[in-house]
Amino acid sequence: MPGFAHLHTVSGFSLRYGASHPERLAERAAERGMDALALTDRDTLAGAVRFAKACAGAGVRPLFGVDLAVAPREPGRRDKRRSPVRGGAFVDESDPRVTFLAADGARGWAGLCRLVTAAHAGGGTPLLPWAGHQGEGLVVLLGPDSDVGRALAAGRPDRAATLLAPWREVYGDALRLEAVWHGRTGTGTGSLRLAARTVGFAAEQGVRPVLGNAVRYADPGQGPVADVLDAARRLVPIDPRGELDSGEAWLKDAPAMLDAAERIVEAAGFRRGAAHRLLEQTLATAAECRVDPEDDLGLGSVHFPEPHLVGAGRRTAQRALASRAAAGMLRLGYGGRRAYWERVHHELDIIAHHGFASYFLTVAQVVDDVRAMGIRVAARGSGAGSLVNHLLGIAHADPVEHGLLMERFLSKERVVLPDIDIDVESARRLEVYRAVIGRFGGERVATVAMPETYRVRHAIRDVGAALSMDPAETDRIAKSFPHIRARDARAALAELPELRRLAGEKEKYGRLWELVEALDALPRGVAMHPCGVLLSDASLLARTPVVPTSGEGLPMAQFDKEDVEDLGLLKLDVLGVRMQSAMAHAVAEVERATGERIDLDAVEPGDPETYRLIRSAETLGCFQIESPGQRDLVGRLQPSTFHDLVVDISLFRPGPVAADMVRPFIEARHGRAPVRCPHPDLEEPLKGTYGVVVFHEQVIDIVAIMTGCGRGEADRVRRGLSDPESQGRIRVWFAQRAAARGYDAETIGRTWEIVEAFGSYGFCKAHAVAFAVPTYQSAWLKAHHPAAFYAGLLTHDPGMYPKRLLLADARRRGVPILPLDVNVSGAAHRIELVSESKEWGLRLALRDVHGISEAEARRIADGQPYSSLVDFWERARPSRPLAQRLAQVGALDAFGANRRDLQLHLSELHRGARGGGGGQLPLAGGRKTAPAGLPDLTPAEKLSAELGVLSMDASRNLMDDHREFLAELGVVSARRLRTARHGETVLVAGAKAATQTPPIRSGKRVIFSTLDDGTGLVDLAFFDDSHDACAHTVFHSWLLLVRGVVQRRGPRSLSVVGSAAWNLADLVEVRRAEGLDGVAARLAAPSGADGTPAKDDGGPLRARVAGSEGPPAPAGSAARDPMADRTIRMPTGYEMHPWADLRPAGEDAARAPAAVRKLWHQSPGSAG
Amino acid sequence: MTILCVRFQLPPMYEAALPGLLGLLEEFTPVVEALPPDGALADLRGAERYFGRDAVRLASVIRVRALARYGVDCAIGAGPGPMLARVALREARPGMTRAVPADAVAEFLAGKPVTALPGVGAATARTLDEYGLDTLGRVAAAPLSTLQRLIGARAGRELREKASGIDRGRVVPNAVSRPLVTERTFSLDELDPDRHRRALLSATEEIGARLRAVEKVCRTLTLTVRYADRSATTRSRALREPTAHSAALTRTAYGMYEALGLQRARVRALALRAEDLTPADRAAHQLTFDPVDDKTRRLEETADRARAKFGPRAVFPGTLAA
Repeated sequence: MPGFAHLHTVSGFSLRYGASHPERLAERAAERGMDALALTDRDTLAGAVRFAKACAGAGVRPLFGVDLAVAPREPGRRDKRRSPVRGGAFVDESDPRVTFLAADGARGWAGLCRLVTAAHAGGGTPLLPWAGHQGEGLVVLLGPDSDVGRALAAGRPDRAATLLAPWREVYGDALRLEAVWHGRTGTGTGSLRLAARTVGFAAEQGVRPVLGNAVRYADPGQGPVADVLDAARRLVPIDPRGELDSGEAWLKDAPAMLDAAERIVEAAGFRRGAAHRLLEQTLATAAECRVDPEDDLGLGSVHFPEPHLVGAGRRTAQRALASRAAAGMLRLGYGGRRAYWERVHHELDIIAHHGFASYFLTVAQVVDDVRAMGIRVAARGSGAGSLVNHLLGIAHADPVEHGLLMERFLSKERVVLPDIDIDVESARRLEVYRAVIGRFGGERVATVAMPETYRVRHAIRDVGAALSMDPAETDRIAKSFPHIRARDARAALAELPELRRLAGEKEKYGRLWELVEALDALPRGVAMHPCGVLLSDASLLARTPVVPTSGEGLPMAQFDKEDVEDLGLLKLDVLGVRMQSAMAHAVAEVERATGERIDLDAVEPGDPETYRLIRSAETLGCFQIESPGQRDLVGRLQPSTFHDLVVDISLFRPGPVAADMVRPFIEARHGRAPVRCPHPDLEEPLKGTYGVVVFHEQVIDIVAIMTGCGRGEADRVRRGLSDPESQGRIRVWFAQRAAARGYDAETIGRTWEIVEAFGSYGFCKAHAVAFAVPTYQSAWLKAHHPAAFYAGLLTHDPGMYPKRLLLADARRRGVPILPLDVNVSGAAHRIELVSESKEWGLRLALRDVHGISEAEARRIADGQPYSSLVDFWERARPSRPLAQRLAQVGALDAFGANRRDLQLHLSELHRGARGGGGGQLPLAGGRKTAPAGLPDLTPAEKLSAELGVLSMDASRNLMDDHREFLAELGVVSARRLRTARHGETVLVAGAKAATQTPPIRSGKRVIFSTLDDGTGLVDLAFFDDSHDACAHTVFHSWLLLVRGVVQRRGPRSLSVVGSAAWNLADLVEVRRAEGLDGVAARLAAPSGADGTPAKDDGGPLRARVAGSEGPPAPAGSAARDPMADRTIRMPTGYEMHPWADLRPAGEDAARAPAAVRKLWHQSPGSAG
Repeated sequence: MTILCVRFQLPPMYEAALPGLLGLLEEFTPVVEALPPDGALADLRGAERYFGRDAVRLASVIRVRALARYGVDCAIGAGPGPMLARVALREARPGMTRAVPADAVAEFLAGKPVTALPGVGAATARTLDEYGLDTLGRVAAAPLSTLQRLIGARAGRELREKASGIDRGRVVPNAVSRPLVTERTFSLDELDPDRHRRALLSATEEIGARLRAVEKVCRTLTLTVRYADRSATTRSRALREPTAHSAALTRTAYGMYEALGLQRARVRALALRAEDLTPADRAAHQLTFDPVDDKTRRLEETADRARAKFGPRAVFPGTLAA
């Protein structure tokens, strides 16, 4: 019997349509004995690369295609429906759909790319205009959803024949009619009658028929998942009485398809034997679709922009690069130094070996352009290790001076594409993109896509909506989950303490959990990758489909960043870094206010005041060293040079922390432990870090010295260290080579220990150097221009902390906070000389007012000053809610003393403006507003208005109101905590600033939290024996009261290990209503959400530590063994706890500042 | 202290008992004002002299009789005027009548939230709250002109008078005149317009039958659509003539529904309310030359008789049969 090949198969990349990943499809096709499988996703080719790789692994020949909505040749009239008062209109899916397959190698693939690009060109819903068709290298399947198929379903073969004509005209012999039988009744899609009609019509018209199954999922039984996806796509609930998925659209094997073919040909009135011919036609079509992933998609080859575009003129790119490097040598004053010249020639050699010269020129061109626009730009990543990059002006730090190696970046042995990342000001990132597009042209540049996949919260929301659940309830369930994978939903319910209440009512929701888990990791949307830019030669559009992004209209390739690398497209990471914007703003403010020009790139290195600030660990807002763990580490490390900063940043990585490299380093640094150095030869690479291997560069050097292999080879060896299998081989090789070079066995053994322990976890020094530059610059600004520094931070919100915390920090550091005032405040935060104290103060910005638009803020700022309320109302034209909010926070206090009176005037002005009638005329010469006798806001109301409107407690710290109650409880303030003894049990309280459950290698979950009480910050850690009692409270309250034990590990390193937590807001309420006895009753009651008693902390305390020290001893009370087989293994070999946060740190920061309103760090940790 | 405000604790399904309970109050005084669904105001000025007891004592008698005769408990507030009696009722419990002393009205009101006053709805309360006038004491202390600027001249004056304890209201005797309401709920989010229309049809059939049973006609029909997110849309439409004719009600209901143009809205319930009820014998009816109209009305009459005899499910539109 003949085999079968599915020509019409979609994967999860068909957003909210396909239910299986391409890998799964390829695997199943191989299992079911198919030799070829097509991937024809809806509107996208995004799955093609992963599919090609999966097929190569499974031994199936991949066919590439796409399923597109097509416009008819003569566009018809569309009748408009009345627009609904509620709920929105239906999602329009009425356009006919046709499947295109690439038939003819690279030509076919290019054709597909162009079709997809053309379909998306109009913006909105993808629709291929008739003019976008082009017959070359494509096979077209007209299935039941095509216009021809629909005419047949409607019983109009005459009309079908008419509609077929234009298709024939364009595609001729490459046209196929696709019959699909899903066991449905009637004559619609998937019915036997339509399939039979299709086959009959094909015979009549002389078009070849093929059999398809319109596959949406790999396995039988996934119909309900398809229903959920349909509902999520159409934005409607599943209607159980309506037409559901047939359950037949799975990847059926050949016998099942033969069976279907027999039924269809019989129904069409042919003999049974005709079924074989139908299958043969299908196979023949599959055979025609020959596209080779390597040759035709361009997997594995590289494409750079043409040399003449990057300033090479008529020379070759290599010549141009060499002369630019030489010019750089002279410009930077290295001309007389032999070592530099040798290094340059060596690097140019390597570059020439790979032919990457245009790549370097391209990056240099981009950096030059960005700098010419006056935008701050810095290189990051291993590219900083190349002297050529430094000479071209790409990297700031001198690699020779810092001991950075070219080989970590690029060597003759390395065959992967090198990558250079550049950081630019986040606020101007899109400007940079536009400039790059302008420079190289739209046919060479595209941004990179980033599929957003289903995780547990979104999956719950979509399934809940599909199942008609109460939206409020769905929201509650979704929010109570931490950000974890959807497939772990039920396991999390069973295991996480903060979900216990939800687990109790689990049964109530029936199929919800099963469906949620089925959605795991399916793409649900596509966004523009926040930093990748593709640069290629002019053939880009023939190799990748490019679609406009929804918001900015930038061209975006449909492939994500891994795919792009596989396709050999050059990707330049242009990261928008908020800190760069913040620093730019600070510098601009200083210049505006004082006329002093600061060149941050040229500030004095080794400034003592800056290092004093860093050593004090009060580094909130400083780049890279502001997190609780980093503040702890900085406190212990006490950095005093730039090199110390580099080490500090390298040590605070999951790998080094997990491998416990921190403790030996600190001990050796402070002279408490000897410096380890196995052999004098290794002194050079090891001396900077007291014998601890911190950097990749050190491993490379050690291996190179001990074995005598080149550094390029050594880098390859280093990469092999993280894989346990190759580690064994390397060990033998290392011992042999080192012995051959005359090292004794003991030295080899000890060196190997070091290499083995730290080798795979070190950090690339080039990265760290690149990071440390802005770290130093930001700390310098904080030390010397604090007001401007905070103005920059608050305007661009770069860090992990909420703005109110930065404001509290500013207040603590003595920066006067000046209230919002429409006559003085600008759109962004500004600095202002306070007349009494001759100090620079921070003036709050209009932009922070909730709901203000850019235009409104600018209008208010432009119209200053205003002489009266009426003047303000008429010229600044604020919306009424905005004006009310401004009045509430005192921005209009200049026009009249009482904020409530002002509000009344405003609403009358609003009414007057609408009705045209006259309002009350202002008294006092039009300057003051007449009082209306309303009670003014109480101080508490003012504070809550500030929190509500500005998300900041601008006038005073919100904890000040509870000072008295806290004193009654005997709570230790953050300032006094600094003098607390190690091991002392204390009570602390404050507003939650950040909660995190970072990945910890031990497989335990630790909740880190930071409280702000107005006098400083308190860092808390909750280990898993306290989670039963505390987790719910910690995640779900804002004001916290915590009992814990002080852990002290250095003069400036301090944290509290929490054992019990209460919601302080509740207690304050109880105190007011019931007095201290009520509070006592509340404290006597078991804490925690579900009444589990708090652990008694009187017992022997385990000497465990919070902060960055890493894994706590594995002696938890809750056995978490089942966890072991669910740990998430990262590509780096690093294992994550399944409940650790999956969101990359700083994901919030990728959003626009106006979109981020937060009173505490927005739950990178968990449900809080 | 001569006005009583009584709230009977009626189980939800027994609202029809209210007229009987009003009769009970009328044994004490003819001046009784019904406050549907479950309350009433009674002016006992004459009764106090006649029965020789003060209003608070009479309140106990009323409660005993209500319990004895109808098995219905009640809470009673007493005050010098109807407004104060109603405010007092908020604090009353069955068996504990709350009375407002005539000489301490201002103190009684001062600490109360503004919503305690009858006639102050959510919107007014929100406005007042926004300006810091959250208690009646503060409202009374605010300048009159300011209040009038806030909520309008007349409402401001009345509010200030009420907040100061000046109660100008009277008890106006009236009978029960309640709108007829019926609701159709869906067990799942329902988007299908056919099912919506069927729900509307069955609702208008029911409302028509109920109106005809009590010989009333309605002038206005109100449609409320409730959505899954607990929000709702309400539309009202006046009928061309007051009627209880099901077909006319259905036409109006369909008209309102179509005007919403709903597509993806997740409807959980449709409620219809017939308002402005008047006795059927006083309603005018426009005759037409179209015999169909006449026929449907006669058909309806016959169907009503059949239903009266064989139960409400004896006759109904074919569309609803499925």
